[in-house]
Amino acid sequence: MTAVVLDGAATRPAAASTAGPAEIAADGLVKRFGRTAVLDGVSLSVRRGERVALIGANGAGKSTLLRCLVRLVEPDEGHTLLLGEPVGRLGRRALTRLRRRVGFVFQRHNLVPRQSVLTNVVHGALGRAGLLAVHQAVAPAALRAEAVACLDRVGLAALARQRADTLSGGQSQRVAIARALMQRPEVMLADEPVASLDPAAGEEVMALFATLTRQAGVTLLFTTHTMTHAIAYADRVVGLRGGRIVLDAPAHPGLAPVLERFFE
Amino acid sequence: MTEGAVARAPARFERPGMGGFIAWVCMLALVIASLRGVGFSPGRFVEGLPAMAAFAANLFPPSTERLAPILAALAETFMMAVAGTAIGATLSLPLAVLAVRRFSPHASVALAVRGLISLFRTVPDLVWALFFVVTVGLGPFAGTLALVVDTIGFCGRFFAEAMEEADRGPQEALAALGAGRSAIVVSAVLPAAVPTMIGTTLFSLEKATRSSVVLGLVGAGGIGMELEVAMSFFNYPEAATIILAIFALVLAVEQASQALRLRIIA
Ligand SMILES: Nc1ncnc2c1ncn2[C@@H]1O[C@H](COP(=O)(O)OP(=O)(O)OP(=O)(O)O)[C@@H](O)[C@H]1O
Ligand SMILES: [Mg+2]
Repeated sequence: MTAVVLDGAATRPAAASTAGPAEIAADGLVKRFGRTAVLDGVSLSVRRGERVALIGANGAGKSTLLRCLVRLVEPDEGHTLLLGEPVGRLGRRALTRLRRRVGFVFQRHNLVPRQSVLTNVVHGALGRAGLLAVHQAVAPAALRAEAVACLDRVGLAALARQRADTLSGGQSQRVAIARALMQRPEVMLADEPVASLDPAAGEEVMALFATLTRQAGVTLLFTTHTMTHAIAYADRVVGLRGGRIVLDAPAHPGLAPVLERFFE
Repeated sequence: MTEGAVARAPARFERPGMGGFIAWVCMLALVIASLRGVGFSPGRFVEGLPAMAAFAANLFPPSTERLAPILAALAETFMMAVAGTAIGATLSLPLAVLAVRRFSPHASVALAVRGLISLFRTVPDLVWALFFVVTVGLGPFAGTLALVVDTIGFCGRFFAEAMEEADRGPQEALAALGAGRSAIVVSAVLPAAVPTMIGTTLFSLEKATRSSVVLGLVGAGGIGMELEVAMSFFNYPEAATIILAIFALVLAVEQASQALRLRIIA
């Protein structure tokens, strides 16, 4: 427990349990909204199979950082290598192709309302199957079967025909996870995936999410305000403050007091 | 409360600026000039009241002599409205997608399509009817083409607005998972816009039904032609029947479309 540095220069990542090549390598990311730099030179590296929790106060820039990694928000400066691809230099098509390999779970599930649960999961294949995945009714049998299997993994196969806007918050987030799994992603980014759920559902869905991503061998970078989740489901915890990374430590129960202090 | 706070409170009424005052005067002058320009005269209207009463009396009783051809013309009017709206709304869909800058292949395409839709909307349907009568000849086909153009002007604009207003969250989620632009439009934008688009189409059908009555006056088919003939032969009882038939049709279409809309929005 020595790698913790608060308010200092960013430290090198602590050695992770799985020492693969870096799948996410952001270097000197800067993002300004107006005059304020929300990200002020963020460098972060995540290895293959590693699971990293990103923490920080409201407005610290966690969501902005995740979005910058796949250019849902365009960073002003800095470089990112994602799955070996130079994200910033990719053309529109190449960027779309890269995004297919990266799952993104949002705090608000962002399902398409008025469409069935099954259609929403089939959408996960839009990248590789194109227009064949716009609706369950036009999807090939193999895609439909895969979507049902993904739904089964989040325990909702019985709700395949239900409309997405009739689900509870916890069910919606499970469907969003199933949609992300349908992508067969290599990297999973999740922005407070359970923040909109009540504590019990949050625990359940977070545990499920962590298990499924681990089973799939997916590299995971998630943001959270729940310190127990950071410690339980990540190999490493990274803290963002003032637009910079000021904490980078292996996840360990002993880290709890440090994390609590992080928000003071 | 301190004196300072009272002093800082804004005045109850803004002092009108000089520019605003001039604008009001100009608008008033324009209204007065217009009333004089059209020879607006309440006196003459009152003088005309007996003539109006005489005309109204002449309308009764409505004649049932030519009921069959009148009903046939009424059916033709309705079919013009249905066909024109169906084709117009269908063509509006791709045009509306192209009119939204985010979905358009290029900003100039969006601008051109918007311009076309505006042109279709701003030129009155009667002018389009005259144009198509010259192009394809007298009859309901010319009228239907005019309604197609009119519908595109209306639906194209409101379909595009419905798509712009669709929730961005699901669209962003599909963009994040590597969906292409057309896949996003079909998967996330259209499902969100469909209820509004159906409502717009039904409104458009009501509008087209009313328009198709008038189009007959320039020979573009429908019951307007019958009305024009009855009036020019001073056959007021028959005109009365035609007016009642039009009234019944427009009312029926409005009621049906309203009932459908309420169902769809739910
Ligand atoms: N599109 C935008 N335009 C202007 N400012 C923005 C935009 N997106 C984010 N910001 C600002 O950037 C800052 C960081 O926002 P961000 O959402 O990344 O924080 P966060 O760490 O995810 O916070 P939270 O824990 O509340 O989710 C905030 O001050 C926010 O107001
Ligand atoms: Mg956030």
